[in-house]
Amino acid sequence: MKKVKIVIAKNRIITRKELFERKEKFHKEQAKLPFEEKIKTLVKLQEIASFVKGDFEKPAIWKI
Amino acid sequence: MRKTLKVINELKGKKLIDDYAIGGGIAALFYIEPFLTYDLDVFIILSKKEKEENLILLSPIFDYLKKRGYSWKGEHIIIEGIPVQFIPADELEEEAVLNAREIEYEKIKTKVITPEYLTAMLLRAGRRKDIEKIEKLLEQTEIDKEKLCDILHRHRLMKKFKSFKNKKL
Repeated sequence: MKKVKIVIAKNRIITRKELFERKEKFHKEQAKLPFEEKIKTLVKLQEIASFVKGDFEKPAIWKI
Repeated sequence: MRKTLKVINELKGKKLIDDYAIGGGIAALFYIEPFLTYDLDVFIILSKKEKEENLILLSPIFDYLKKRGYSWKGEHIIIEGIPVQFIPADELEEEAVLNAREIEYEKIKTKVITPEYLTAMLLRAGRRKDIEKIEKLLEQTEIDKEKLCDILHRHRLMKKFKSFKNKKL
């Protein structure tokens, strides 16, 4: 396969392969976050979802 | 969540349940990257006195929680602001609860179903969202393949797992 290079910032070039490797690494790092941190993120996601849906019913957003 | 877990631990302390473990989306969240979910699934092993053949009595648990002022919303009971669903464990789930991982959440002890049992339970449920969670579990956490195979064999889920793996490729 042709080695495609991607410019991500000034003077920063990565290959397509590296781009996907970084994405995978990011997801694995997120998976390793402490449980408490993940629950905080979950509440943020619930808040965003409620905002998008226009539904602010309390049980949809956890109290932690 | 801290207060919710404390209340659930009280159920065990008061012998209304023998044991419990967190399963479902929140157990998956323990092992994989954060995603949106709304309920806390709690798999419970009932005390012998609450178990009769073909009859599961959850009323003592609910009576206790009602007395504590917690209310229902659909199939969930809202405990300290979190919708909790109590699921009486079947054979596979009971094994999962007994072998669950002991953890602490803000210094409160609790148990989370291991990724191997969680994979088997999600596979058995087999909905699209369950399959997505299995994919992430396999990608993002350490799974003991030997343990997983043993669980899948004993609970007759190996064929389903192979079919899942083939579809994935």
